[in-house]
Amino acid sequence: MSDTKLPPPLPVRPVDGPGSPRDVPPLPGTLPVDPATLPGPIRDELEAPDPLAIDTSAGELKDGLNRCPKCGATDIRQRAGTDILVCMYCRNEWHGERVEEAFGFGEGIADLRGTVIASGARDIEADAASLMTFKCAGCGAEVTVNTESTMTARCHWCRHVFGVNEQIANGAVPDAVLPFYIRKDDAVARIRQFVDKRRMFALKAFKDEFTPENVVGVYLPYMIVDGSASASVAGKGEIKTRQYTRGTNNNKKTYYDADVYQIERHVEFTVDDLPLESSTERGNLDVNVNTNNIINTILPFDTKNAVKWNASYLSGFTSEKRNSNVQQLQPRLEDQLLSIARAQVDGSTRRYDRGVRWEQEQLDVHGTRWASMYLPVWLYSYHQPGKNGGLLHYIAVNGRTGETMGSVPVQQWKLLLAALTVGTFLEGIAIMILVGMS
Amino acid sequence: MSDDSGLWLLLAGPAGATALYWALYRFYRNTDKSHAFERETSIDAKPVTGSDAKVGNITGTQATRIQGDNVGAYRARVQRVASEAGRDVDDGAPGG
Repeated sequence: MSDTKLPPPLPVRPVDGPGSPRDVPPLPGTLPVDPATLPGPIRDELEAPDPLAIDTSAGELKDGLNRCPKCGATDIRQRAGTDILVCMYCRNEWHGERVEEAFGFGEGIADLRGTVIASGARDIEADAASLMTFKCAGCGAEVTVNTESTMTARCHWCRHVFGVNEQIANGAVPDAVLPFYIRKDDAVARIRQFVDKRRMFALKAFKDEFTPENVVGVYLPYMIVDGSASASVAGKGEIKTRQYTRGTNNNKKTYYDADVYQIERHVEFTVDDLPLESSTERGNLDVNVNTNNIINTILPFDTKNAVKWNASYLSGFTSEKRNSNVQQLQPRLEDQLLSIARAQVDGSTRRYDRGVRWEQEQLDVHGTRWASMYLPVWLYSYHQPGKNGGLLHYIAVNGRTGETMGSVPVQQWKLLLAALTVGTFLEGIAIMILVGMS
Repeated sequence: MSDDSGLWLLLAGPAGATALYWALYRFYRNTDKSHAFERETSIDAKPVTGSDAKVGNITGTQATRIQGDNVGAYRARVQRVASEAGRDVDDGAPGG
């Protein structure tokens, strides 16, 4: 009886001391030791700014409301064909700030060291959700924005327009946006022109269903990279020294003599605004499984004109969210830098008239600067049914330059028939010549 | 032009058919297109440096080009040699 009245045993004393969960983490930016007491190099490293060197977040837009500087209304749109924002209430117009000047992108590329990441290009946190909820400052209602595909929403009750302007951990908000210049009717005309030149062998179903008016304006996520690098390549080259023919009239053969050289080349260079697809799906350029190379082809954009992030530029357009971090894109960047280096040294191998076989290459990336950007693309898509879910064909129009590229599905039997017809015709001529000769 | 019997002319049919098929297919599907970042990116390069050393000669070959010519195939990767600077990219020392 008395046993049952005993209190339960005390819990084991939790572990404390250094490293235990009871330790309160230091405040951001504080150090447990005084840096002044440390050796110079260590102090310099501790006091150096964080790798996140460029903060591009827009503090004034944190509550999701982008207000007209004149009247305070939130219904703000982009004036089509310009970088100007216009208030739909009082018609006040103002210009977005260019990131090139605001954050110094494009300057000091040769002096870049290490990896500098703008705040919108930070790593995406694994548990970040796509749905963002705002409390409307006008009426208190809750407004949800799905950042997978859209960046603005309107409060159902008081008609305030909300935009995802705060740089959140889900990677949806980039550092900058390049607004659309090409209008929809212009994009429709370009797509129509592109397809009109490719009608004869186009898939019948595609022609029947062709409605370029269904084109959608999409902001696609890119990483814009500045970099400073040096590369070396080594290989063999051959210079022709003699050419001669041997044999009789009917059995003549040409022979060559050549000198063989071991060549080494080195080049230091900087690249400015190299665009890399920062969506894994769009970055897959395998032409056997998709037609993303079409979207890749309409690069480059005039990224120098990109403006500071403001979701008001995105109203009326859809968007795709970034899902690649800087680390994942590094191999592709290195691959492209090596290709650029190879193109740069090409001019110095002209004397090797029998060509050059590069055997080894080496790359040193001295420094890179990454900014995340939304670039405007008009996309017309057509799904061709087939094996493994078919193939999605795109016709893409660059929203700034109007460059158009597309993939039009072909009617295989028609194409084969045309090829066979021409082949038979050529064969007929060949036989006629042979008969004439004999 | 001059050869044994001219039978090679019979290849004209299949060759023409294949060439036309591929040309049209590419015109429609544009599978060979991509962003030419080598040309279209703004690149600022210092003068190319390097060395050339004669290592041998070839006599009497029938090949018109060097075997494995890849001088124009910028995107074809060859053996990657580790950078001399290694992980210490900060020193900025040019490799090679």
